[in-house]
Order: sequence, then C-alpha cells, then structure tokens
Amino acid sequence: MIRRTLLAIALLAATAPVRAQQSPADVIPLIDAHVHYSHDAWDYLPTQEAIAILRRSSLRKVLVSSSSDDGTQKLFEAAPDLIVPELRPYRRRGELSSWVRDDSIITHMEARLAKYRYVGIGEFHLYGADADLPVPKRMVALAKQHRLFLHAHSDAAAVQRLFVHDPNAIVLWAHSGFDRPDAVRDMLKRYPNLWADLAFRSDHASSGKVDPEWRKLFEEFPERFMVGTDTFTPERWHYIEEHAKWSRAWLADLPRALAEKIAYRNAEALFARTGYGYKVPPLN
Amino acid sequence: MKLPAAMALLLALISAAAQAADFDAAQTRRILGHGPWPPAESADRSNRLSGNRDAVRLGAMLFGEPRLSGNGAISCQTCHRPDHGWSEAKARSEGLRLQDRNAPGLLNVRLQRWFGWDGANDSLWAAGIRPILKDSEMGGSAAATAKLLREDAPLACLAQRVAPDYATGDDEAVLVLAAKALAAFQETINSPRTPFDEFRDALAANDRAGMARYPEAAQRGLALFTGRGQCGMCHTGANFSNGEFHDTGLVFFLNDPDRKPGTPRRADPGRHGGIAQLKANRFNLLGRYNDDASGQASIPARHVEQQHRNWGEFKVPSLRNLTATAPYMHNGSKPSLRDVILHYSDLDEDRLHSDGEAILKPLKLAEGEIADLQAFLESLSVPNDTAARYENLRREAAACR
Repeated sequence: MIRRTLLAIALLAATAPVRAQQSPADVIPLIDAHVHYSHDAWDYLPTQEAIAILRRSSLRKVLVSSSSDDGTQKLFEAAPDLIVPELRPYRRRGELSSWVRDDSIITHMEARLAKYRYVGIGEFHLYGADADLPVPKRMVALAKQHRLFLHAHSDAAAVQRLFVHDPNAIVLWAHSGFDRPDAVRDMLKRYPNLWADLAFRSDHASSGKVDPEWRKLFEEFPERFMVGTDTFTPERWHYIEEHAKWSRAWLADLPRALAEKIAYRNAEALFARTGYGYKVPPLN
Repeated sequence: MKLPAAMALLLALISAAAQAADFDAAQTRRILGHGPWPPAESADRSNRLSGNRDAVRLGAMLFGEPRLSGNGAISCQTCHRPDHGWSEAKARSEGLRLQDRNAPGLLNVRLQRWFGWDGANDSLWAAGIRPILKDSEMGGSAAATAKLLREDAPLACLAQRVAPDYATGDDEAVLVLAAKALAAFQETINSPRTPFDEFRDALAANDRAGMARYPEAAQRGLALFTGRGQCGMCHTGANFSNGEFHDTGLVFFLNDPDRKPGTPRRADPGRHGGIAQLKANRFNLLGRYNDDASGQASIPARHVEQQHRNWGEFKVPSLRNLTATAPYMHNGSKPSLRDVILHYSDLDEDRLHSDGEAILKPLKLAEGEIADLQAFLESLSVPNDTAARYENLRREAAACR
C-alpha cells in the first residue's frame, strides 16, 4: 500500500507541469515614489491598514507626501523602515491651485522643516510662469538650504524656471510631466539634475511589454526614472498592490540591471543626494 | 376672437425665434448630434439570434424565469423591473446576496458597446450569462439552464424553432443559446421619442412653431447641457452616452454592511476590474461562441488594455428615460436627478486627478439653473409600453407547442 502510494506520488511528480517557482530573490525590489496619505484617507484607511497594504505589496521603500503633512508623519512613525517622507506644501486638500499665491505656505513649510526630516519638497502643482511667483521661489530656496529635491507636478516650462531659480536644484518630475518620450528626453538631456517618475501613466508599457520609444529612453537615461502609484484619492490605496504587480511585470521585460535601477536603485540614489542622511539598506 | 389668436401666433413665432437665437452654431450642431431618434436598427453580428422573432419570444420567457437561479426564486426581472425602466428602486441590487452596484436600466441596451457598469462584457449575450452563473446573483448553472430548455415544453418548443439541433449540444452551448435569446429580447426594449426629440427635429427643420412647443425651462437646461456644463462631452449621440468609462469624482469605496470592525474597506475597481474580467471570460468575443466570422465584433476585446486611470471608472450611462430609473450612479448613491445635478454643481475637484478628467469642473449652478437642467433631463423621458409588450411576448411564448 505504501509502495503504491509512493509510486503514485512519484508518477504525479514526473507528469506534473514544471512550474518555475519564483523565489523571493527573483521578485524585484520596488520603491513606490509617489504615494499620498491625505486627511480624507485617514478614516477610510487607518495607519496600520495603510502600512499593511504597503507591506503586502513587497515594497522596499515608499516616498510619501500628504495633505496635510500629518499623514506622512503618521505613516513614518508607524513604519520608519519603510516610509521616506517628503514635505507637501499643502495643509489640506483643496490648496492645489491656490498655494502659489498664499504667503502662509512659507511659514508652514519653514515650521515643518524645523520639526521633521524630509528628502524633498513636493509633490506640488506648478505650471508655467507661476514658478516665478514669490512663494515657489522661496520654496526653491528652502530646498537648497535643506538640501532637498523638488517633486514637481509641472509642465516643462515650470521645471525650466525652477532650474533658473537654482541651477543646482534637484528636481523629481512627477509623471514625467505627462510629456511624450521625445519631450522628456529633451529635458533629461538639458538638466542633469532632473529625475522623472512614471506615476499614473500607462503609455510606457502594456501587457508586460515596454513601449519601444520608452525603452530607448530608459536605455539612454537608465539612472533617471522611477515608478510610483499616485494615491490621489483614498480608494487608490487599494491599487498600490496591483500597481506593484503591474510595474514588476513590465520591468521584467528590461535587462535586469536596468530594471533594478528603475525599480529602486534610482530612487535610493536620489534620496542619498539629499540632506536626509538616507542609508541604503541591505537587500533582503 | 380672431385678432387675439393671430397676435398670439405672432408672439409665439417671435418667441420661438428668440429662443432659437439662444443656441449658437456650435450648440445647434451639438443638439442635432443627439438625434435622430430612434436610430437605425442593426443586428448584433456576434449573435446569430439577433432579430429572430422566436428568439425574442424565448428571451422574454427566460427573462422572467426564476428557475434559471440556484434557489428557483430569482429571475432577470427581479432586479431589472419592467415597471421601473428595467432597473429597480434599490440602491444596490439583491440577488442571492447584496450586490455592490445598482442594477442598470435596460432601455436601449442594444446601443451599448460594453455591458455593465465596468464593461466586463463585450456582448449583450455574454452579459446575460454572468448573473446566471455568479454565485452571489442568481447562482445558476449551465447544466440547470440546459435541463430547463430541454424539459420545459414552451421553452423547448421555442428553442427548437431557433436552433433545431440544440438539444444535442452540450450544456454550455445551451446556456449560450439561452443567453443569446435573452439578448435578442433585450434588443427590443427601446424607448420612444421624447419632447426633446421633437424639439431636435424641429430645430433641424428650422420649424420654429415646433421648437416653441418645447418648454422654455428645458430649452435653458439644454443650453447649459450643451454649453457651460459640457455634459455632452461624455453624454454624446442620440443615446446620450459615449459608451466609455470615466471617473466623475464619486466615492467608490464599497458600502459593505457586513464588514467586520477592524477589517479594511474594499474599493470597487470599476473599469480596471472589468477589463480583467473581460480578458479572462471564455464567453468574450474572442471565444468560440462569437457568431461574427468577420472578426469585426471582437476588435475592442482584442485591443482593450488596463490603464491606471481605469481604477474607479464607471460607464457613462444613457440619459434617456432617467426619470424611471432612480436611484442613480453605479452604486445608487444619488436618490434623485437633483442629487446628480448637485454632484456636478459642487464637484469635489480634489477627487479628480489634475491631469485626468480635464473637462470636469464644479458647475456652481444657481437654483434656477438646477431646475432648468432637471427640466431638460426630464424631457428625455416619456412613458413607454415596453412592459406591456414584454407581457405580450411572454404570452406568445407560452403558447408555443
């Protein structure tokens, strides 16, 4: 009887399809560089649930900015090993288009910068000549003073103005400006301190395959891109895990070294450029 | 008596001219784009039973057939009530369990290209299979459906007429036959002409007296709809829907009364989940049951891909016969037309991605404008005889021997 059972097991093993087991080492580490935990998310998604989503998504680090910054601090306090904080200028949702003309934003940023540590200021929304207004200019000066990058949801014109205000600024261009690959290329060529996230855009990959134009761009600037979800409403927190899977699928279509850079190494290099004191943790 | 009557007619014509002048050339073009009604009918090439009179009767019979469900108590018309615009008054439907979404109305459903709030089906017949098989809706099966069509005399009579060799097919093929008959019936649930259609045709013909018969409040609402409101950007064409999916700033967390304290809330993935379901569905138009040999019907399913923006997007509903289908939105969260209008009037822009739905801005409507917009929307509704025609079809079907 035992012999027959063993034989059956052996037969099953021999005839079963060979399935490639994915070991943890095969799962590419990932940094989500575009997450918000704003006040309307706190009730829907208490801090521990939010952290659980991030852990479940096997994220190495998460770059978080929130309206208000208290959301970022809640997450950082709960998971300092996971959360990388950046300072969003907004004190609440609804300041997206008014902050550029609101002097009190400066006082707010100065107070937060005195109290907490950050890798950057952002994500903020800034377009065209608005970048020359006093509030954004002072923000650039604060970033310079504290050695922080600027996470700009901007058109190319506003990014260019940020570099006029501080030619040595480091800018993370949110959504790669929603620009076409050619336009992104022009900007990356022109500004060595410009980095770009790919949040909330789907044009660079489809069904796990990288678009040829974007592939060329990634190969040309392998150290300048990173991925992110953009949780602009509370519900989108439930998309983080799906987004991580989607990102890992298209990254697997790239050579491993390039994929690792876009997946997490570029973000870590960016964090390390700031005054935050970011220490690159060992790989699991 | 004659003089005042002539004066009244003259005044009416002058008034009509003034009203017509309220629509500029662009608006006039947009208004004309919402017709003519009814549109030309064309058969669904993916469904060989489309337009088949016996299939329509069989579909009508099946639509009210509770034996399609696992507990023998739920039929299509449980949630798609003929006397409620083929929808129902509940915010979220109840099959065997409470559903996450509102039952969409079925009037003019043949004009849609994706089916369900998330477009998880690319044909009307496949959309009919989902509730039959889904555990939480009707909980039926291919085997039970096939048995019913083989053993029930009127159903078997009609099935034999539309597909003489159906009884020798496997259970799944019979299920598909039933679904295609259901679709053939639903294609006949069409709404009649409305006061708006009369106005639109009068405008096309420059018939000022005809235009003057359209209430002024509705005309002002139409001006808002096609002008500042930009409603017609998504609610396009004669059926007032572009058939696609958008995020209009609605909360799409699921209101789950059974959720245990301390467990996370769930979000409705909307179109994002719908595309995943479509791709995984063996009854999609890429599968073996598509009757369209040209391959045209399956083009959308072949090319549609998930995008990040699809998370929480829901289908743009038709606006025809809205007054019969309250409550509104994918989750039935807006009890009245006024609530829907207020949603767009007070739109929370923070819930929209700044590079997403660029045309959506809070309309900040005055009270009079809200009333005007509602008057226009109501002018897209008239009573219809679809419920009576349904009963007639069922009587005809029951007589099949």
